[in-house]
Order: sequence, then C-alpha cells, then structure tokens
Amino acid sequence: MNWIKLEQLLLKALPERAVTDAPALDHAHLRERALSLAAGLQARGVRRLVVHLEDAAELAIALLGAWRAGVSVLLPADLQAQTRQRWAAEVDLWLTDHPDDTHPSHFQHAPLSGAELDLDQCRLSLCTSGSSGEPKRIDKTLRQLANEVEALEQLWGADLGTACIIGSVATQHIYGLLFRVLWPLCAGRPFLRRQLAFPEDMQRASREHPAFAWVASPALLKRMGDNLDWPALSAVRRVFSSGGALPLDAAQSLQQRLQQWPTEILGSSETGGIAWRQGEQLWQPFAAVELSQDADGALLIASPYLPAGHVEHTADAARIGADGRFELLGRLDRIVKLEEKRISLPMLEQALVAHAWVAEVRLGVVQENRASLGALLVLSESGLYALREHGRRSLTETLRRHLGEHCEALALPRRWRLLRQLPLNTQGKLPQAEVEALLLAPRPKAPEVLEQVETDGEWSLQLSVPPDLAYFSGHFPKAPVLPGVVQVEWALNLGRQLLNLRGAFAGMEVLKFQQLVRPGDEIQLHLRFDPERGKLYFAYRNDTATCSSGRILLGAGDA
Amino acid sequence: MSDLNTPNLMRDIKLLIIDALGLEDISVNDIGDDQTLFGEGLGLDSVDALELGLAIQKKYGIKIDADAKDTRNHFTNVASLAAFVTAKQAA
Repeated sequence: MNWIKLEQLLLKALPERAVTDAPALDHAHLRERALSLAAGLQARGVRRLVVHLEDAAELAIALLGAWRAGVSVLLPADLQAQTRQRWAAEVDLWLTDHPDDTHPSHFQHAPLSGAELDLDQCRLSLCTSGSSGEPKRIDKTLRQLANEVEALEQLWGADLGTACIIGSVATQHIYGLLFRVLWPLCAGRPFLRRQLAFPEDMQRASREHPAFAWVASPALLKRMGDNLDWPALSAVRRVFSSGGALPLDAAQSLQQRLQQWPTEILGSSETGGIAWRQGEQLWQPFAAVELSQDADGALLIASPYLPAGHVEHTADAARIGADGRFELLGRLDRIVKLEEKRISLPMLEQALVAHAWVAEVRLGVVQENRASLGALLVLSESGLYALREHGRRSLTETLRRHLGEHCEALALPRRWRLLRQLPLNTQGKLPQAEVEALLLAPRPKAPEVLEQVETDGEWSLQLSVPPDLAYFSGHFPKAPVLPGVVQVEWALNLGRQLLNLRGAFAGMEVLKFQQLVRPGDEIQLHLRFDPERGKLYFAYRNDTATCSSGRILLGAGDA
Repeated sequence: MSDLNTPNLMRDIKLLIIDALGLEDISVNDIGDDQTLFGEGLGLDSVDALELGLAIQKKYGIKIDADAKDTRNHFTNVASLAAFVTAKQAA
C-alpha cells in the first residue's frame, strides 16, 4: 500500500489516488479543496471552527483545510440548540450541513500551497458527556491521531488491502473519524461518503465493491436479519465493531454467517484506542498502550494516543491477567451506554428537575428488546395537578419534549414510574440496582395505607392513592379518576384483612359515587361490618366530603 | 390477503410496534394509519427502525428484499407497512 503520513496528506497532489465516489473525488481534488478552504479560513481570520458534516469526504476536506490554516477544530456530537449555545463563545465559524451555517463548498478561494502539517500545533477537540453531567471537551493533537492510525495500519493494513471502507457509524466521534476517514485517507483506501443506517444499505454498498470492510456498531451488527445475502457478504475483509459492547450471541451469529469473528475495538474519545479482541473474551491492549489500575480497580491508561506523560483515569473496572490481556467488569460511575451513545444520567436528571412539574427524579436502564431509559419520578404540586387534569400520557410527553432540548431522542425515557417519594435507604441513597428493579416492577394496583385505627369495631384508614395506579391508564386516560369498581374492591380487600371476613362476595347495595378520587389524593376509608346482616359498610371521604359509600354483601361461611 | 382484512392487519401492526418497542402510554388508537413513525410523528429512532424490521419479518414470515433500493420506504407509516406485508405474503 502507499501509505501517506497524516501530516503529509496535503504535500503532493495524487490524481491517481481515489478517495471516494458518488460523486467521485481523487486525492488531488481533495487536496485542492482543502487548500482552498484553508485560504478562505485565513482570509476570514478564523481561529476556531466547529465542524459537523455528514459526508466523510467533506469532513476530510474541512479538517485538512482547517489544520493547514492553523485553525483548531471542534467536532460536536450534534447541533442541538444547547450544543450551539455552549460553544458559541469559543468558536468563530460553524461549518456544517445546516443551511444557515457555512458549508465547505462555499469556499472558492485560490488555494494555499501544500505544506506539511505540524503534528503538535494542529488540534482537534471532540465532545462527550462527562460523569458530572456537563458535556466535556477533549483536546487532541494531530500527533495523537497520527499515532493511532499508524498503529491500526500495522495491525490490519495488510488484511484490508484495497477494501472500500463502508461505515454505519457517524464520523463526529473518534471511532468513525479514525476508521472511516483518517485511516483510509492515509492508507489510500476508498471510503463511502455516507453513514449507512440499515443492513440492507450495507449489503447494497458492499456488492458495489470488489473488496470491502465494515466499520459498524453493535446497534447494527446485532440486528442483521436472514434477509441478507450472507454468502456474498462473507467476502467482507474485516468487520469492526466499537462504541459499546457487542453481545456474545451477536458476535457468534456473525461468525457463523461470515466465517469470521467481528473485530471489536475498545476505546473512547478521552482515551483513544485501548484494546481489541476477535472472538475472545479478553481484550488485547494495542501495542503502545500501557495499562495499570487504581485502588478501585479502574483502568488507568497511558499511550501515544494521549498527551505525553498523561495518565487517563477511566471509570471502567477491569481485571488484568498475567499476559497483559484484561477483562472488563463494568462502569464505576453513572454513565450508561444505549446503542453506543454515552448518556450521563446525572445530566438528564438535572434537566428533568429543572422542569416545574418535577420534584425529584432518578433514571435507570430498562433492559428489554432494546435497552432504554426509565424514570422514577416524584411530581411537584404543579406536576400532580397536570397529571390530574390531563393524564399520564400528556405528562410524560411534555417531559419528554422538555428533555428533548437536552439530549438525543434515544436517551428520552420510555418508561415512567410516578412515585409519592423516592424509596431512599437508611443511608439516604437509592442504589442503581434498586432504581432498575423499581422500573421493572408493574404499576401498583393497591392504595398505600398510611395509617389505620380501630374504634369500637369501626376501622378508619388513611389512604394515599398512588399517582401511577395501573387503573388510571385504562379508563379515562386523559382525565384519570379512580374507577368505582376499584374502590369497591379495595374496600372489600382491606375489610377482609382487617376484619377477618371470609364470606364470598354476594352483591352490593346503595352504592353512591359523589366525588371523584384522583391520582395522588389522600383519602380516608371507613369500614364497619354488620355480622348479622353480613354487610360490610364502607365510605371514602376526602377532607371535605364523602367521595363514595355503599354496602358489600358477603355470603355466609368460608369462601 | 384481501382488502377486508386491512384494518385488522393495521391494528396488528400497531400492536407489534407497541410491543416490540416497549412503548408506554400509547394505545392502538393513538397511532394513526398514516402517521409518520420515525423522526417527527411518533418519534421513533433508527434503532427502532432496525428492531421493527426484524419484528415484521419474524411475525409475518416475510423477507425484506435487501437488494432493492428504498425498502425502508415501506416503514413510513402503518398503512405502508400493511401494504408491504400484504404484497409480500401474496408473493
């Protein structure tokens, strides 16, 4: 292969060297456009630039052009309003696909001359969610990136040969940026411009190239069906997977279909590449990576992909074997990954608590067909009012829309459990495992008994009606009220318990429903049994009036 | 499958969407036949699209033709999915 060092990509025009197609672009054109962009950025006096481009070739032009002009580049994960606000003061120009921003194609300046890039002066910043909840900026030099692509070529360059690089991941993140753009650029391998979202798209793109390799994510790899032409796809030179854990059964299924284990890459924006594995449980660190551990067992990393002398402290617990390979034992913080997207639970919790309807909230992961977030929510007074007036769906939709301004749709909680209070343990904590167990529990069907006293055979109970009672969704989802039949059932069940009643239900008399009982209400229930007539008298009252009353007839004997 | 069955099929597909994707507080009546499923509209994302593709193929014993372009257009809304399933089952 004709490897060109990352810092030398703009030195000489190479018209024979293909970069991408649809539309076709060779190295000479890419170089000219990058140098023209560099001239334009210099003319405008730009020092710091945000780049968010879907097209990998346009991204390559933007990066090389910016570096040639001495402009540092920030790659945000998205272009949401919050993101723009956060970085607005730090940057001079937004180079994106958005019609109101500037696009690389707008630059028609006479190109600067080709030159070698300065490995220590050229800078790239990536954005990711930090454990405190604040998005974090990670600064890298071109040297770190160059070291990384060279190590990848050493390991797998010969295997890949001239394979066209087909990717299902975005290039705004370190994995896509290295594997889909910078590595193939240096190696002279063609790459696809667009991120492909579906297995069928991957298949069609693969068929168009005599040799191909995939840069994919677990989200896609674990959802590839038998509708694909696996014999044809097994020509794939290598299947890379990164961004999150690939479940073992998905890896096995790929091995059976492709006669090749996927190559999993472990790394992050902060650390760069750490290790890889292929059909093994243990991770093999990249050659130049030095691992150690702190007292909690967290992985510590030093490598040429990090600033010199820096030891990166990860939140991944690990067990390192004698041969240097290691096993991952889970996260030590409250960052979770959903379909490879890193999500800071504290950040989303802060955003939710900022809404007037929310008093307290804890988030957790619900593992089902697809993992998603769930929220344990304690409503404020106004939140409870909103629930009572408009129902649960309107409430959760409003909160999802509110959160949508802070995160991607994927991170929006899909399950909501409304609680009267968070069940903190004696240390005042709510362990994450407990949060997740509560999210899996069904919604309640019984009232919470706050107090119960007996006077001369008559019971008075103070009940709290759970805001999340299962019955509130079925009957009048937009105006949740406690159904009369449920009120009768509660009276009967509590009566049986407290008064030790055994007779079978035999009917009802003089039922009256006068006041609505709604989510979050506290009500009293009065129960009295007349053994001669076999009648259980019940009455529900709120602070001012009777809500309902009646008599439940019970048959004789032991039913 | 005849046209008479289309309302039932659409109802089934809505149930499949709700079950396969674990949607809470959404009933069959909340999903319009022509409502856009992804992005705006019902608000499903690309992972839902992958899940739904697998669920539809499994439930109806059909295969999405991986070599045809724009197969994902069938996933625009419930009505287009029902038409797709009907056509595939007839084939």
